Amino acid sequence: MQATLRRFGFQAMSSPCELQFYSDSTIEAKKASRRLAAEVVRLEKKYSRFLRNSYLTAINYSAGDSLGIRLDSETYRLLEHALACFEESEGLFDITSAPLAQLWDFRNARVPTQAQIDSALEHIGFHRLHWKKSRLHLPAGMSIDLGGIVKEYAADAVASNARRLGITHGLVNLGGDFAVIGPKPDDSPWPVGIVDPRKPDTLMAKINLGSGGIASSGDYARCFEHEGKRYSHIINPKTGWPCEGLRAVSVAANLSTVAGSMATIAMLKSRDAGIKYLKDSGLPHVYMTQEEDVGGEGLAPLAAAQTATDEQATA
Amino acid sequence: MKTHYSRSLIALSTTALALPGISQGDAPPLDSTFSYKFSNYKEDDLSRTEAPFGELERYDIDVHQFQLITPWGRNMALQVDGNYESLSGASPWFTSTGLDGEPVVNLSGASGIRDRRSELAIGARYYLENGSIGGNIGYSEEDDYRARYIGLSGERHFNNDLTTIGLGFSHSADDIFPTDASLFNRVASESKQSTSLVLSVSQIINQTTTVQTALSITEQSGYLSDPYKLFDVRPDDKTQFAWSSSFRHFFVEAEAAAHVNYRLYHDDFGVSSHTLDFAWHQNLPDDWRIIPNIRYYTQSAAKFFTNIDNPFTSSDQYQSSDYRLAAFGAISGGFSVVKNWGVWTGTLTAERYVAKEKYSGYTVALPSTALVSYTRLSVGFDYTF
Amino acid sequence: MKQLPRVLALFLAFAMISGCVEVRPWERGYLARDEMAWDSDPLESALNDHIFFSKEASSGGSSAAGGGCGCN
Repeated sequence: MQATLRRFGFQAMSSPCELQFYSDSTIEAKKASRRLAAEVVRLEKKYSRFLRNSYLTAINYSAGDSLGIRLDSETYRLLEHALACFEESEGLFDITSAPLAQLWDFRNARVPTQAQIDSALEHIGFHRLHWKKSRLHLPAGMSIDLGGIVKEYAADAVASNARRLGITHGLVNLGGDFAVIGPKPDDSPWPVGIVDPRKPDTLMAKINLGSGGIASSGDYARCFEHEGKRYSHIINPKTGWPCEGLRAVSVAANLSTVAGSMATIAMLKSRDAGIKYLKDSGLPHVYMTQEEDVGGEGLAPLAAAQTATDEQATA
Repeated sequence: MKTHYSRSLIALSTTALALPGISQGDAPPLDSTFSYKFSNYKEDDLSRTEAPFGELERYDIDVHQFQLITPWGRNMALQVDGNYESLSGASPWFTSTGLDGEPVVNLSGASGIRDRRSELAIGARYYLENGSIGGNIGYSEEDDYRARYIGLSGERHFNNDLTTIGLGFSHSADDIFPTDASLFNRVASESKQSTSLVLSVSQIINQTTTVQTALSITEQSGYLSDPYKLFDVRPDDKTQFAWSSSFRHFFVEAEAAAHVNYRLYHDDFGVSSHTLDFAWHQNLPDDWRIIPNIRYYTQSAAKFFTNIDNPFTSSDQYQSSDYRLAAFGAISGGFSVVKNWGVWTGTLTAERYVAKEKYSGYTVALPSTALVSYTRLSVGFDYTF
Repeated sequence: MKQLPRVLALFLAFAMISGCVEVRPWERGYLARDEMAWDSDPLESALNDHIFFSKEASSGGSSAAGGGCGCN
């Protein structure tokens, strides 16, 4: 039987998701896609900040408990990764900084007072977390949000699970974070298009992905303008103010998780520091500055005014 | 494209690759755990009708158990187990007829006490993508007994980790050198070997239920008699089969788990048995848990069991009046109370065991008068670090 | 010994119940709880195995016979 390209779309992690892979059996493909989609839902439910009985909510609820809470190995490893991100970004990538983001009301374009910001900053700081092996002590008033890591991790986990199920050629797309299961049957890479933040139906760049993953960070929707200044939705956890660095970053790396972390770190730095960080990584990347300059390295040639087809889409 | 990757990329890759979704497979525990338990169990005294002559008090045993489990590297776990037991008291020496012809038991006096036992075992387990393999070696020593054993086991997951198949092997080489051998005309030094194989299958039925079934076969050879029993002569090999099934179900609203275990046993001494036990693990607020449990056991007698020893039996005629080879039933039950404080967990357990002829599910042709009942108390703790 | 073929047949039938229900991954949390483990208190089971071994004629079943002692 000839292996044909199967595509399965589903909604998860507040984004449209799609699995593309080659399979010679419709039944097996359907079964596999159900299992893989279930894995995404599993992670979404486990680390949801909104579900009352999610594991993340239980962790945040334990804030101030002197006995702490026991982490399972998956959460423990996610925290280790969050620590690496914290260190590599010199304190800018901070999973305890969600309350700051909430302070900046993007929908109503309201800027909080300095006093409000200072007050929130007192309960921010990854360095304030104590965990020893599987025991986490979350200080009172603090919370963690793994949203900046879990979506890319889910893409990698799905790709890894797909390979275990015997799928050798495929691509996972979770709302613009990609992970390759395997290259196309002719060994050619999957072309992934990066959407232009100014014109969401055109592409800014294209990256050919034969393995690994692509993740993007950018304020495509949630920035706002106030008193003539443009504010990114990414808040600097040290100052409490939005970052004034790059406007959008996409990175291709050996894992979507790694790509996502690097993209976020580049966005948190100042514009020039972020560009240098991306250059030094040696990875294919594309960025757009607040002044709407586009740059990058390791990109595939892009035909003029190429539109974003539904085969390749990232935002 | 540059072939030199930044230090940042390497650091982030290292932690990302450690994520379980990405580096699939079983993993050893994250933490080390040290556990200790102290137990005391005391067998009920015999009554004067059961033992008209001599000692009435039976065993009084203290047990100390230690265990340390620690991860080693990313794929291994090490385990050390230690036991120290001390006992005082007497055990049945021989049976005879009483003043009115009824079988009675005679307890040993100061002789025949195995009073201290120490045991140490070390093991390691290696975790792979679809399962794990492990091995252990151990040594146990008493004043009159020494055992050396080795074990190997492996398990593999199938079917999206819903099914697990396990295989285990163990071998033990024991030496017996009874105390006061010449004084009481006992064998001076003997040995026995035991080899056992077990195959198990576990299955996840649904989100709150699991079942497991296991079949084991054990072959023993060597000196299998009890040297402290005056007229005890048993065959020099024994084959045993045991089939056990277990069931676990979690009741979400009650926040409790039910455990049911059943075992069917048979050996070529002629003993068959059924064991059924049930435990209810009830979670309570503030990290308390209470676990009431009950067990029913019944066995048939060995082919050569007798309740009145024949002193003149020859070496090719098997006999034993050891109550453990009689037909009887036993009911035991108790409860444990568990409390967790972060990295500490404490457990308190009480249990009462009563063996009686009338509890037996098998026909009792020859009742033993030395059936045992005992009460046990245990206290222990776990520390995670 | 007559019971053996019956035991084996039951064992195999039991073992063939596989893939009964698709357990959705996010619902396995209950099975990971301490009190749902096959052996939720290893020291307690080791102690009980040892005590019952010294007071009854049966042994084995769920694990390969481990250590030896002079108690049976």
